Amino acid sequence: MLEIKHTLCPSCSVGCGINVVSHEGDVVGTYPYKRHPVNEGKNCLNGRNSIEAYKNKLESAIVSNSDVDIDKAIDEICSNLKSKDSDKITVFCSGNNSVEDIEAIKSFAEANNYNIASYADNIVDIDGEVASYDDVEKASKLIVIGDVLYTNPLIGRRIIHAKDNGADVYSFTPEGSVTANVSNEICDSIDDVLNNFGDNLDESSVILFNTVNSSEDLDKIKEIADKANSKILPVFSKCNSKGACEIIKAQSKEEFVELLNDTDLLLVFNDDLIPEIDFDFGSISTIVSFVPCENSTSNASQIVVPVKSWLENDGSFVNAMGETQTFSAVIESDALGVDEVIEKIQNKL
Amino acid sequence: MSYVLAKSKNPDIQEAGECGGAVTSIFKYLLDENIVDGVLALSPGDDIYDGVPTFITDSEDLIKTAGSYHCAPTMFGDIIQKYLSDKKVAVSVKPCDIRSIDELIKRHKINPDNIFTVGLNCGGTVSPVTGRKMIELFYDINPDDVVSEEIDKGQFIVELADGTEKGVKIHELEHEGYGRRLNCQRCDVKIPRKANIACGNWGASDGWTFIEINDEKGEELIKGAQKAGILETKSPSQDAIDARLKVEGIMIKMAKKNQDVNYEKVSGIKEWDRCIRCCACRDVCPICWCYENCELNKSYFNASDVPPSPIAFQGIRLSHMSFSCCDCGQCDDVCPMDIPVSLIFDKLQKKYQDRTGYVAGVSDDVKPPLYSPAKEEL
Ligand SMILES: Cc1cc2nc3c(=O)[nH]c(=O)nc-3n(C[C@H](O)[C@H](O)[C@H](O)COP(=O)(O)OP(=O)(O)OC[C@H]3O[C@@H](n4cnc5c(N)ncnc54)[C@H](O)[C@@H]3O)c2cc1C
Ligand code: SF4
Ligand code: SF4
Ligand code: SF4
Ligand code: SF4
Repeated sequence: MLEIKHTLCPSCSVGCGINVVSHEGDVVGTYPYKRHPVNEGKNCLNGRNSIEAYKNKLESAIVSNSDVDIDKAIDEICSNLKSKDSDKITVFCSGNNSVEDIEAIKSFAEANNYNIASYADNIVDIDGEVASYDDVEKASKLIVIGDVLYTNPLIGRRIIHAKDNGADVYSFTPEGSVTANVSNEICDSIDDVLNNFGDNLDESSVILFNTVNSSEDLDKIKEIADKANSKILPVFSKCNSKGACEIIKAQSKEEFVELLNDTDLLLVFNDDLIPEIDFDFGSISTIVSFVPCENSTSNASQIVVPVKSWLENDGSFVNAMGETQTFSAVIESDALGVDEVIEKIQNKL
Repeated sequence: MSYVLAKSKNPDIQEAGECGGAVTSIFKYLLDENIVDGVLALSPGDDIYDGVPTFITDSEDLIKTAGSYHCAPTMFGDIIQKYLSDKKVAVSVKPCDIRSIDELIKRHKINPDNIFTVGLNCGGTVSPVTGRKMIELFYDINPDDVVSEEIDKGQFIVELADGTEKGVKIHELEHEGYGRRLNCQRCDVKIPRKANIACGNWGASDGWTFIEINDEKGEELIKGAQKAGILETKSPSQDAIDARLKVEGIMIKMAKKNQDVNYEKVSGIKEWDRCIRCCACRDVCPICWCYENCELNKSYFNASDVPPSPIAFQGIRLSHMSFSCCDCGQCDDVCPMDIPVSLIFDKLQKKYQDRTGYVAGVSDDVKPPLYSPAKEEL
């Protein structure tokens, strides 16, 4: 039977709605969700492609490159957990997990005295009020750091609306990029754009960024925003990074690498760390991945446990502007949720 | 061609239907008699501004699809082509839906023997988020309190639970950038005469649906539903028939005026320089059906070229399908960068029309032209 159901896009932190088409028990496509207030039916290519995660779903648990049943994999995880000192065990989660899953992961780590880590695009310490998308549209001036139109198009669209409303846009983005093409001025570095145009900001201005190189960059952004009474809006690459940061303090890249150096057993929940973090993951004796479909980190893991993909899950995300959005499963599934896997592990410890 | 006024004999459907509930009754007849496998229509999702395409296989479920969703700019052509081509389907179609279906039939992508098309006249659709904002701003009403909306006598009218109504002139709303979608403001096919029947409120007395029967299949639909005891009909007066044609003429005139004003703007479109090459405009277009084989996916197109040159990027699609563009506006709706994509496709189709007489999704027995002289002018 053909069905079209609402959910949220999991591919960045904007929080766009998306309709998913299922047909005879399979996910077959997407359809514009025009009633959604964030994106009005518009999704970028990443968003529309996000259903691929379901199409490439892992069918079975894996231990040392062989398919095994889930319980066998759980036993293996438990014996690994029992054999290691808890301070050498690190549990990692990120904005790819829902609020509910992150809470379950946090309780699990705390109950067993494991290290817990979360990482959000090298952006740390961002709790506190941020600009809303409406603030961006109504801004008098915008400083934009990163090619936001290209990377997070449905916030990029708000920059266009701001421009149409007469805002001045100053950006750090490559020349010729789409963001550069809607900017009044472009600069070669984060420092330049902040130094050259920070003084132009006022209380109806916003500094919007999807990338920082260091915590100093972030401090500077905050300092300039504070001085002008402007707002900031960090835009993350993962849908629930804001929600994750509210539950587990995000680490900087350096802090995280330091922790990995001291880790013997790494449990990764729904993420692909290898392309993102420059670290020799081969130096960790055991990596366990809990993922809906394979990725480079799961390929480097000794144990892989399939979990529900976002399409099979219910829960909530907090989008970049801090709004909690709930979503429901669009297709039935016999995969386990992260909370169910954790319960199984905890019961056997 | 003949005309009939119709209404449902089922009191629940009559109550829930927009006019006489004729459309829902015809669907019920088709399902109950197993003439179709299913009905493709809309049902409310989050609220009345959210029409969600729904495939109904049990006639008991039809009641939730009754009524007109003026804030649901949906498209059914591609849904049938992609997912339902092996099924016998009845579908409610606005002019842009049936025009795309007609173009897909001409491309052998939809089998005409497999579908029953129940047309809805269309004065235009409003985007749901715009619709809600507009109701807050111009009506001073909480959009959540609205139980139904309609477009009548040049007004967009909302009704509250206590029966009170408030209307604002559409041209006032549109002057302020609200109202119907921009493509709808240009759309000059108001009665879907390529559908088996075309239903509407124009020319209808209260509680009745005015139906223009367009072909033999349409005739059978009305007779079948009557025979099944679910549809009651009577003949409309000549005055009603004339009044309906007069309103249609006025709407077309208004659309042509909007075309003249807006087609001129095409050469000034600067927005291409923010195109992120996401291909949403192509993927949503009901006329484009090549998918993976699309020229735009070929390796000689540099996919990292962002923004792409509009001549090369949009030019491919313009030369492949603009002569068949039915001005459905889906490409505008989904463009993350708010680029008025449909304006250029629609303008080119009209140019083509002026030269050849070919009206996309309307002209009979003409294969879609493979060579468009108009495209040379791009
Ligand atoms: C957007 C819109 C604009 C219209 N404008 C005019 C007009 O200007 N003049 C005129 O004479 N008539 C117009 N109509 C048609 C009219 O409102 C009634 O739909 C028609 O008279 C049939 O009435 P009914 O009671 O028989 O239909 P019902 O029994 O209520 O059935 C209506 C069917 O149409 C489906 N439907 C509702 N909205 C849409 C949509 N957006 N797209 C596709 N299917 C849909 C429903 O799911 C249902 O199956 C419009 C309809 C729509 C949807
Ligand atoms: S902008 Fe982000 S949330 Fe929106 S569709 Fe694209 S990836 Fe998804
Ligand atoms: S394009 Fe035409 S038929 Fe389609 S919704 Fe707009 S006015 Fe109606
Ligand atoms: S080009 Fe745009 S308006 Fe024309 S048929 Fe395709 S989606 Fe519709
Ligand atoms: S939808 Fe818009 S941004 Fe995307 S390719 Fe089409 S015109 Fe470009």
